[in-house]
Amino acid sequence: MEGINLAHLGSGLAIGLGALGPGVGVGLLVGKALEGMARQPEMAGKLQVAMFIGIAIAESIALYSFVIAILLFTK
Amino acid sequence: MQQIFNEFNLRPESQGGHGERIFEVINLEPINHFIRSLHLPIDVTINKAVVMMWLSAIVAFALIYYAGHGRGLVARGLKNAMEAIFQFVKLDIVEEQLGHAGQSYLPFVGGLFFFILFNNLLGLIPAGFSAGSNLSVTATLAGMVLIVIIYTGIKNQGPLRYWVNLAPGGLPKPLYVLMYPIEFISLLSKPFSLAVRLFANLLAGHIVIFSMLTLMFLFGLWLAPVSLAVATAIYAFEIFVAFMQAYIFTILTSVYLGQALHPEH
Repeated sequence: MEGINLAHLGSGLAIGLGALGPGVGVGLLVGKALEGMARQPEMAGKLQVAMFIGIAIAESIALYSFVIAILLFTK
Repeated sequence: MQQIFNEFNLRPESQGGHGERIFEVINLEPINHFIRSLHLPIDVTINKAVVMMWLSAIVAFALIYYAGHGRGLVARGLKNAMEAIFQFVKLDIVEEQLGHAGQSYLPFVGGLFFFILFNNLLGLIPAGFSAGSNLSVTATLAGMVLIVIIYTGIKNQGPLRYWVNLAPGGLPKPLYVLMYPIEFISLLSKPFSLAVRLFANLLAGHIVIFSMLTLMFLFGLWLAPVSLAVATAIYAFEIFVAFMQAYIFTILTSVYLGQALHPEH
């Protein structure tokens, strides 16, 4: 196939597979945080802050694969 | 209308369009610009991103100055909104993470917050440009954060203790050969993820709005209501993202500052 090289395929796979783990992780994180908030509504504020920090750290793994995907795409 | 349609002829090349070149329209200029800026004669051209940064700095300064000065005990309208946001930064970001001793970091963290917030919001005005969707801008902000973190750590723990405290204490001695490189890389990966997070979120938002609008050129103008409605919904979500990313950037900055201020023992 002309004009399409394997780097493009690789970049798609990189972001797709790389988003899989963090997606599951963020889902678990938010689910557990909501559970905690439902049990103890007075702790909701603290839980929310901790949840956002956790999401940001889990998300950064997906961002590394985003960088790899962009690097492959512009190759 | 037909002319616009022809100009954006995004059908595949086999059908006489140039759909494969859609990414040339989006072009990945922010990344190429960053890579170019790593070469030595540093490019100091005043481009769109620089102008938007000046603008957002001026807007942030003017609004905060307006909110902080003037008469009347009870703030109303715009003043009240600015006061609420400032209160949020002060209480929920700085004092929550750094404690009362961290008050001296409020100007730095608050400045970052308002600068990033207005950068993001100005990018949402049509024909505007979000400086945060340029990797050079976010990398500079994150590099600044890294310098402040290391300076805080060295100032509070001493030049040698800071580097010793990077790895947690109480581990078997041979393990430290492994721990120090890992902790050093994790220190460097903090600003890296800060920069890429802000950049990726803003760029992705713009690309998604753009792709939703190009749907009507791809499938025909009958899809215009749907594509406009979806683009508007995503635009509204982008306003939320603008606040969210400013919040995430500053709260992570203050978490890292807190780690440098109060090390684990």
